[in-house]
Amino acid sequence: MLGVLITGLAIGALYAATALAYNVMYSTSKVLSVTTGHLAMLGGVFGAWFVTELGWHPVPALFASLAVGAFAGWLTDVIAIRRVLARSDEHLWLLSTLALATIVQQGVALWWGTEPKPFPRLLPQDFTAGLADQKYWLPIGTTIVMAAALELFYRRTLYGKLFVAMSEDAFAARARGVETDRLRAISYGIAGALGALAGFAAGQLTFAFFAVGLTLTLNGFIALAVGGLGSNVGALVGGAALGLLNAFSANLIGGEYQNTVSVGLLMIVLLLKPEGLFGSRRVRPV
Amino acid sequence: MSGTSLRPMAGSVAVLVALATLPWWAGDQYQIHLAALIAAWWILVAGLNLVVGFGGQLSIGHVGLLAIGAYAFAILAGRHDWSPWIALAASGGLGGVCGLLLGLPSLRLPGFYFAMATMAFALIVAELVLALGDLTGGGVGLSVPGFPEPFESPAGHYLLMLGIATIITWCAWNVARFPWGRALVAIRDNPVAAESVGVPVFRMKLAVFVASGVTAGLAGALFASLQSYITPDTFVFELGLFFFVCIIIGGRGSIAGPLAGTAILTALPELVAPLAKLGTLFYGLLLLAVVLLVPEGIGRLFQVILERLRPRETASPVLEPDAARLAAAIRRQERP
Repeated sequence: MLGVLITGLAIGALYAATALAYNVMYSTSKVLSVTTGHLAMLGGVFGAWFVTELGWHPVPALFASLAVGAFAGWLTDVIAIRRVLARSDEHLWLLSTLALATIVQQGVALWWGTEPKPFPRLLPQDFTAGLADQKYWLPIGTTIVMAAALELFYRRTLYGKLFVAMSEDAFAARARGVETDRLRAISYGIAGALGALAGFAAGQLTFAFFAVGLTLTLNGFIALAVGGLGSNVGALVGGAALGLLNAFSANLIGGEYQNTVSVGLLMIVLLLKPEGLFGSRRVRPV
Repeated sequence: MSGTSLRPMAGSVAVLVALATLPWWAGDQYQIHLAALIAAWWILVAGLNLVVGFGGQLSIGHVGLLAIGAYAFAILAGRHDWSPWIALAASGGLGGVCGLLLGLPSLRLPGFYFAMATMAFALIVAELVLALGDLTGGGVGLSVPGFPEPFESPAGHYLLMLGIATIITWCAWNVARFPWGRALVAIRDNPVAAESVGVPVFRMKLAVFVASGVTAGLAGALFASLQSYITPDTFVFELGLFFFVCIIIGGRGSIAGPLAGTAILTALPELVAPLAKLGTLFYGLLLLAVVLLVPEGIGRLFQVILERLRPRETASPVLEPDAARLAAAIRRQERP
């Protein structure tokens, strides 16, 4: 039973980290980007490429993966968000990020192959460690550090406060002289780096696999919707809940019904509490 | 009939005649197969177009409904020896019921939530097809029977699909040009304003979603009997994306645009080999280009080019001052 619990928490940590990346992008642009899960996928695939194929040490590989993720996040803003937000049609960003996500996923599939490839060991550790194995506690630890660092960033730094100001009211922030376009680009870069970090840390769990992106986009979103859009505590709780539910249901009724169970959780939460556990109530336009 | 709608009418009749005689002038069997495939996709896209293009509900998971129709037909007609016609109707009905079950909770959700719910639905269907191996044959797949004479041959099967596609197109066109279509466009462009002028927003969205489920079920059954063997690999999520791209590229809020989009996007990778290797990447690039450059769709692009080539004669009105009335007005002002 302990094994199921730890597996669930580890996979839940990855969902929570994806939800955090969603939140960072949402705070400055009010956009839920379909590419979010693909940022984590890029971290995993490029990490495996740097270490296994190019023979790099894990530390420079980590930083290079973060750079790739940040670049991909920034690219999301430049290609799919900037021009579309200026046009202010609420559906267009969904289409443009969906198109970009498809391009990224299929591009990786053509270059990297459609088979999952093993992710290298990051720390020297025996394979006999069982539940204390690094593939479980690396994602959990990374996600906790990530959430704490984001909280510090929002509370203690000027840029963090600007993000909060933008998420409260982007027009007012702009009127006060905040460079909203540059901030949005920075937030997308940060989200890309966070996503890549999560994908890198959880690489041994998910393998370097191109299809992980779409799964994470969906499950990270479910974690976010369950926890409450815009809330980082909600993202952690939602991710943990979803991961544990997946692990226990796989243990009890078999692993074939993963998506069905996840979406069932989403539907129940949306019916009972549409704004999520920790979300602020959405105002209905009238 | 008014004179303005006569020319497109004559055009579509000419196209229809050309398509109906295709088996007699097509070069080889493969072209007929391709045309039948286009017809199958169009039956689905015509229904989906009402949801996406007119209603503005971005469903990316209709491949799930397609798979349900295909498997229903394969199981009913193949294993239980139902008449193909009854199985076809049952597939459409089941597609509609599943559309209702999917639409009831998900159509209440805002844009991104709805898109994610439909995507999750497609993934769930793919998961269940693999999990319920006793019913669906699992990863091995199922063989699917064809239709009885005279629709047994490839040409006959093609003509049957063309007939159904024509009827579906006519239905969609009727929905689009009557107040229904206007109400849907109103929902797409401004749901709050639509509701305030008395459009039953949710019921409307649900009705077209169920209709699109029926067409998806029909398309699935016809597609399955066209392929004569189906496996879970046929109904990947990328296929749902393909239907969606057909509509966006063709242009939202029109019928001819998505029809052309479906035909071109189905035929293009088959005719141009390098594109087939790129596969879904090509659709992604196309979707991105259209969304960023011509969000109204390629159809709009052609319209603009036509207007450039054939500038409409704009009447330049010349205003002649009516001197007498002007003088009278001035005099009236001066009097008091």
